[in-house]
Amino acid sequence: MFAAGLKCPGCGSSNIVDDDLYCQAQLVCVDCGSVVSEGTLADDPVGGTDVSYSRTTAVTKKPCLNLIKGLERVKEMCRILRLNSEIEELALTYFRQAYQQESFINVTLQRKEVLAGCCVYVSCRQRDWPITLGTISSLLDADQTLLGGVYQEMIKILNIQAPFVNIADVIEAHVQEYKISAQDVTKELAEDSKVLTKRAVALVELAGDSWIVTGRRPLPIMMAATYLAWQSLNPNKHRLRLSLDKFCHLAKVQKRNPAVTRITEMKEVLCKLGRELPWVREAVTRDDVVRLVGDILEHRHTLLTRALRTHETAMLADCPQASALNSPTEEVAPSQHSESRDQTADASSVVQLCPTDRMENQEGDDSHQTEDPEPNWGKRVLFAPPCVIHAKRRREEPPAQNFTGDEEISDSEIDSYIRTPQEARDFALMQKAVSSSDNGNP
Amino acid sequence: GAMTPGMPMFSPMMPYGSGLTPQPLQNTNSLSILEEQQRQQQQQQQQQQQQPSAGLPGTSGQTPQLYHSQTAAGSTTTALPAGTGLYSTSIGPMTPLTPATPASESSGIVPTLQYGSYSYLEFLVSLLNATLVLFVSVGLFFLFVIRNIVSTVNLGCKLDLKTIALRARNAEYNPKRFAAVIMRIREPRTTALIFSSGKMVCTGAKSEEESRLAARKYARVVQKLGFPAKFLDFKIQNMVGSCDVKFPIRLEGLVLTHQQFSSYEPELFPGLIYRMIKPRIVLLIFVSGKVVLTGAKVRGEIYEAFENIYPILKGFRKTT
Repeated sequence: MFAAGLKCPGCGSSNIVDDDLYCQAQLVCVDCGSVVSEGTLADDPVGGTDVSYSRTTAVTKKPCLNLIKGLERVKEMCRILRLNSEIEELALTYFRQAYQQESFINVTLQRKEVLAGCCVYVSCRQRDWPITLGTISSLLDADQTLLGGVYQEMIKILNIQAPFVNIADVIEAHVQEYKISAQDVTKELAEDSKVLTKRAVALVELAGDSWIVTGRRPLPIMMAATYLAWQSLNPNKHRLRLSLDKFCHLAKVQKRNPAVTRITEMKEVLCKLGRELPWVREAVTRDDVVRLVGDILEHRHTLLTRALRTHETAMLADCPQASALNSPTEEVAPSQHSESRDQTADASSVVQLCPTDRMENQEGDDSHQTEDPEPNWGKRVLFAPPCVIHAKRRREEPPAQNFTGDEEISDSEIDSYIRTPQEARDFALMQKAVSSSDNGNP
Repeated sequence: GAMTPGMPMFSPMMPYGSGLTPQPLQNTNSLSILEEQQRQQQQQQQQQQQQPSAGLPGTSGQTPQLYHSQTAAGSTTTALPAGTGLYSTSIGPMTPLTPATPASESSGIVPTLQYGSYSYLEFLVSLLNATLVLFVSVGLFFLFVIRNIVSTVNLGCKLDLKTIALRARNAEYNPKRFAAVIMRIREPRTTALIFSSGKMVCTGAKSEEESRLAARKYARVVQKLGFPAKFLDFKIQNMVGSCDVKFPIRLEGLVLTHQQFSSYEPELFPGLIYRMIKPRIVLLIFVSGKVVLTGAKVRGEIYEAFENIYPILKGFRKTT
C-alpha cells in the first residue's frame, strides 16, 4: 500500500509502504530500504494495547492452583484410606463441582481442605464403603464441628444424599487399628483381629437392639465393644485387671472418654441377659459378667426372649388387667431368629401397653396419674434408651397463664423498668469512670 | 330436626358411592339457609359443651383443640355410614383452616359461604367429616407444649439506642458485639431485641397472646423513655413446640425409609432432622420419643405436622 505524498529522504522516491515490524508501525522506502518513519511504542494506547495479554499469549485457561492442590489432596486421602478408583473418581467429581460454588470458592484454605475430606466421605458412603467422620477428621487433623458444618453445606448445595452407615460395618475397620496381635504384645494379652472383630460385631448388634447405639456417637461404642470383646475372649486375670485407659495405651489408640459409660451400659445389658442363663447359680454382677459374655452372645436371641418374658411376668404382678392380653404371647419358639424377634416385639409392645392400660383405667384420678406415668415409662420396660432411664429433671415451669394479649398495662409496672434520673446520672458517671480506667490500663 | 335424612348427602370427600344423585339446591345466599346454619351452629355448640373431652389427662389451656370441635359425633347426620371413622382427609378446599390471626382457642369458625358451586349441605357434611376425623385422632393422650414464640413488631420511629441503654434498667447494649439493645421484662418472661430502625424482635413467650402482650409492654417502655413509639405490623414469625410420644424410636430405620426428608448423623447431632414439606415444618426427633417441632407461623401447622408424623413414628415402635 502506498503511503501517498511522502518522499523518502534517502533516495527521494515516493515508493513508500507500510511495513510493520512486529507491532511497530513503520513506513519503509521500497527502493533504498530506509525507514521513513516509525511509530514509537509510546504511541500504544494508554493502559496497554486493546488486545489483552492473555489473548496474545493464547494459552488455555489454567485451573486455579488451589483447585489443583485440592484435587491432589483428595487423591492422597483416597490412597491413604486405600479406596478403589470408583470412589476416587466420584470424590474428584464432587470436589470439582463444589469448588465452583459460591460458598466454597472464596474461603480459607483450611475450609477447602475440609471440603476435600467431605467429598471423600460422601463418595465412600454412596458406594457403601463404611467410614466415619471421625476418621476423616483425624486424617485432616480438623475439628469435627467444622467438618460437620462443611459437610452439611456441601450436601445441601450439591443436592446429594448419603445413605446411612451402619456401625456394625465400620467396626471391622475400627478393630484393625488396635495393635494387639501376637507381634505387638505379650501372649496373654494378644488377640487375633478376626476373632476380635466377630465378637465386637456381636456386641455392637446387641447394643443396637437394646437402645444403646441410637443417637450416640459411634466411636466410643466401638471402643467399648472392642474392649469388652478383648476381655471376654480370654478372661484371665491380666486382661480383667487392665482398665480401658491402659488398654488403649497398650493398643496405641486414643481413648475416648464416653467409652467408659458405654462399657457400663453394655455390662448392664449383659447382666440382664446373663441372669437368664440356666446354668448360672449365683447372682450376675457387673464384675463377673465378662466371663459369661461368650455364652451370652452365643445364645443372645433366646436369652432376650426369656428376659422379656421374665420382665413381663414381673410387670403383670402389678397390673392384672393386662393379663388377658398376655395369653397369645405365652408361646415362645426360641429356635428361629425371626420368630423370636416377633415374639420379643409383641412382648415389648404388651409391656408398653400395660402402663397405658393403667392410665386408661384410672382416668378419674387425673392429677395423681399425670404425676406417675409422667416421669418414666423407661423404668417400666426392660430395655430403654439410657437418656430415658436417667431422664434429666426438667425445671419446674410456672403454670400456664391465660393471656388475651389486650390486657391493660399498668404504669407502675412500666416505671419499674425505667431508671430514675439520679440512677441514670450515676450510671453515666460510672460508665465514664470504667472506660477511662480501661484506657489508662490497656 | 337439623338435616332430614331423606336429603341426598353428597360430599366430594366421601370415598363411597352412595348412589344418590346430588340435587341442585337453591342459591346458597338465600336467607332461609343462613338462618338454618345459625340454628345448627347453636345446636352443635350446645351438644359440644355437654360432651366431655375424651382421654386428655390434666387438661390445661394447652389441650390441642384443633380445627374446631364443634361437632358431636352422631348429632346431626344420620346418613353417615359407620365406617367413616378414620380415613385421612387431605386438607381440601372445603376444610376450614385455622384463622391466621392469633385468636384464642375456643373461637368458633363460621363456615364462610364463598364456595359458590357447592351446596351448603355438602359443605356442612364435609365440615362434619373433617372435624370428626381430626377429633378422633386428636383424642390421643398427648400434650403439646408451645415452648417459644418469636414475633416482630415495628415501633415506627427511629430510636437512639444509647439513650435507651442509659435510661432503662433492664437493657443491655454492647455495640461492638451486636447492634441492638437487649431488653428483658419479668412478666411475661421474655426478651426483646430493639434496633435503631425502630424494629423489634420479641422472643421467649409461650403463647401468641403472651407474645403480643410482651411486645406491647416493650413498646410502652420505649414510649415512656420519650420516643413516639407505635405498634405496627405485629407478626408471629416462628413457633416452637415439643411433645413426647412415650415410646423409643428407631432413628436408623426412619432415616432409611424416609431418606428424602430425614437427615440423621449421630456423629454430629443425636436427633433426626425431619424436614416436612407440607406443612413446612422442621421436626427434631430423638430416640427417647421426644419430638421438637419448629418453623410454624400458626399453631395449626404444628398440630398438622404432628398428625402427619405420628403414624410414621408408630411404625417404628414395634421393633425391640
